[in-house]
Amino acid sequence: MSNNQKETKNYPNKGKSLPVEKSIKDTVFNIFKKALEENIFDALLIPAKVPDTDAYSWILLQDESLFDIADPLPPVMTVQGGRALSSFSKNGELGLKIAALLRPCEARAVIELFKLHQVDLDNMTLITIDCPGAMPLADYMNDPKKIADSFKKISEKWEISESLRPACQNCHRFSLMDGTGPDLHIGLLGENNKVTLIANSPEGNDLLEKLGFESKDSLDKWKTEKEKLVKEKTKKRESFLKEWQEKTKNPDGFFNELNKCINCHNCMNACPICYCQQCYFDSQMINFKPEIYLKKSREKGALRFPLNTMLFHIGRMSHMVLSCVACGACEDACPVSIPVGRLFSMVGDKTQKQFDYVPGLNREDPLPLQIFKEDEFCEVETPNECEEKATEEVK
Amino acid sequence: MAKAIKIKKNVEEGLFDFLKSLLEKEKINGVFTLKKMDDNGAISYSLITSPDEFKDAVPLYPFMPVNAGKALSSFTLLGKTEEPIAAVLRPCELRAFVELVKRAQGDLENFLIISPTCGGVLSLNLMGDKNQEKIVSQYWTSVQKAEISPDTRETCQFCENFLPINADITVAALGNKDLDKEFILFLNSPKGEEFAKHAEGSAVSEEIETKEINEFRKKREELREKFFKETGKEGEGLKSLINIFAPCLGCHGCSHVCPICYCVLCDFDAKTHEYHSASLSLDLKNKGGLKVPTGNLLFHLGRMTHMAVSCVNCGMCSDVCPVNIPVATVFSKVGSSLQKVFNYFPGKDIEEPAPQGTYKEEEFKTIGEQ
Amino acid sequence: MNDKFTPNIIGFLCNWCSYTGADLAGTSRMKIPPSLKTIRVMCSGRIDPLFVLESFIKGADGVMMMGCHPGDCHYQKGNYNARRRYVMLNSIFDTLGLEKKRIGLWWVSASEATRFAKVTNEYTKEIEKLGPNPTSKEIFL
Repeated sequence: MSNNQKETKNYPNKGKSLPVEKSIKDTVFNIFKKALEENIFDALLIPAKVPDTDAYSWILLQDESLFDIADPLPPVMTVQGGRALSSFSKNGELGLKIAALLRPCEARAVIELFKLHQVDLDNMTLITIDCPGAMPLADYMNDPKKIADSFKKISEKWEISESLRPACQNCHRFSLMDGTGPDLHIGLLGENNKVTLIANSPEGNDLLEKLGFESKDSLDKWKTEKEKLVKEKTKKRESFLKEWQEKTKNPDGFFNELNKCINCHNCMNACPICYCQQCYFDSQMINFKPEIYLKKSREKGALRFPLNTMLFHIGRMSHMVLSCVACGACEDACPVSIPVGRLFSMVGDKTQKQFDYVPGLNREDPLPLQIFKEDEFCEVETPNECEEKATEEVK
Repeated sequence: MAKAIKIKKNVEEGLFDFLKSLLEKEKINGVFTLKKMDDNGAISYSLITSPDEFKDAVPLYPFMPVNAGKALSSFTLLGKTEEPIAAVLRPCELRAFVELVKRAQGDLENFLIISPTCGGVLSLNLMGDKNQEKIVSQYWTSVQKAEISPDTRETCQFCENFLPINADITVAALGNKDLDKEFILFLNSPKGEEFAKHAEGSAVSEEIETKEINEFRKKREELREKFFKETGKEGEGLKSLINIFAPCLGCHGCSHVCPICYCVLCDFDAKTHEYHSASLSLDLKNKGGLKVPTGNLLFHLGRMTHMAVSCVNCGMCSDVCPVNIPVATVFSKVGSSLQKVFNYFPGKDIEEPAPQGTYKEEEFKTIGEQ
Repeated sequence: MNDKFTPNIIGFLCNWCSYTGADLAGTSRMKIPPSLKTIRVMCSGRIDPLFVLESFIKGADGVMMMGCHPGDCHYQKGNYNARRRYVMLNSIFDTLGLEKKRIGLWWVSASEATRFAKVTNEYTKEIEKLGPNPTSKEIFL
């Protein structure tokens, strides 16, 4: 099954366009206010600015006064939304109906966590929004005002700016994809001064109906604009992939990128997919007696401390890269500016393609390592026989 | 008069030669020190066993990529090293290692500990900076003049414990105007004296506490007061704490690099501190909203109860914080008041138990009787 | 505005002294404030500082740690450890400018029913004066 075949599921043809009166934020909030008032859901998960500070964080919002500090698209991605959602829903039995407004990469992480049984989607409505990207966290923390201003300009023009996070510059999945991901999508692209609500599941349809909206408006304009930008960003992504594959062609290139690593595991702790309570690489499984370390040191003349940084990165890759949603949270959290996000995204791209898997695209797609087919990857196992077989088949 | 020798060489070069000769003469089997990884400016601790590999060693390079106490603990966690190893640590790293040894997380035996009088280390975000060499040379100028370098960590700028305790050999660097020509090694233990015989130096009689050192300490004390005053305003405790920790991502990087936080599984990463979805409706009813993930403040306050009394002020936590929270300053402030209350100096005496693990019957007599 | 503030006080009571003392106060029909919610622990040494912190952060208006008098501990030294932990918490609260009155430690023996009634009533009054804990309404914790 190729990617193209996958992407033909009940794609919505119609949506609901709403005029923007004051601001996009205001229009979006009015929808949520109505939904909260009419008890369509009990709380909304949304980013908010902590009063009296420049910091953003996620809140579960119930009291309408909190809309004053909420922001659907803050200039930075603090905690990855998938992580935030899982933090309160992983044990299930929420007892409340919750809607979550997420960036598309965050929603994809949620879908992956759903497959890993780390979120409860029973009473959850996933809502995504067309995402202009976000600014690097470190830049924002150094000069919040300036970065917030430039983000505003960038997001208004949907510019693929160099000052966005690298992960966002190279992101071609910034909008709704043709899969069973979110329930509802908020389209910002397309006509100016219009917000388009697109139901992407029966639940999403229900929600629109309950809100009294009829999905009758055409999506053509949004689609054209979106696809134009997707094309542009796919091109950017391909050149990024090419550049980094070249950079890491031999092992040295890869090592050089990681040799600043101080083993703080911030990348792992910021990663939405790394959900383990006790990471294998924090465990005592890889401890040895001093004489073993001395022996290792003698083999090469020196032994680097902290130990096992390379094992950690490659090992972590083997654990999660098939589900990597390329959100860049790891790179934002790195204190020594290692391009972790780019490395993982590059490796993820290649590995995911091998399994014909797009993380977070469809809720039904099983995780690649949970299934197998008897007749797959013959080219890896016995390349010669495989070729013979292929030629026979052709005959 | 302390035992000391003078070496007529640039301090970096002199220490390098001394360590290299120890390694070549097989007096020691390895040197644990900083090493250049690459041309991109990356510096990392290494256990160097071959004299050939020693060419990239930079023992006094002003970076602390990890707290060496933590690194040595991972080296000796399962037992002492049977072979003699020289280790170059900064005073706070040494104190951290002593604290870890106290907690059975390492072993000091067979180490020759060498530690400099410390002018601080540069912030980690300068590692790989295009001006790295320039910043480092400026750093050395400030060490020569015994001035506080503005590029150093905030915690370093107000650290008063910059003279090593428990080191076998102290490298006197701070306030030495002729640092590029000569420097002094203070020999604090018989072990230090024994090894120093292999250094090309002449015996001198000097005191470590010079006028420059005392003035330097005074400058740092002033800064300390200033930083402490600015962090956590009095009277509005909760609000100010919330504002300080508002950007916290909950990545727990601070605890991960902390040399005192040695637990394999931190309590705050464990199931115990997971949020129970059952309490969600109650919390929302009470507050109308809830920050998620919750528990940031509990994590920081809780971590304080676990380790602040042993905080050695190394500043690793602030340096790894991706959102620039002055973690080290807050912890240092709390730590120093706790250390005063319990009359405890972390990393000073290996025999002295950590305050949480002991008690005295006759202390705090009035508490609980009101 | 006319609603009188009834504080929410969590008491961690050691099984052998304070809890028995509280029991005696009850059977002796002494008046104990309804604001006190007691949690029995086997020894005051069992009171993890995190229990106290978590109560505080989750909105308790006051936290009482109670145990046997020094020297009387059923496990010989548990209350000495508890005392150190309280001193530590107190010092942390003090340094950070948090309201340190919201946590406290009292020794109450099994026979001191009167003392139990006295300290719980006094502490409740003190907390009533102090008002509700701001953490109970704080979203960003």
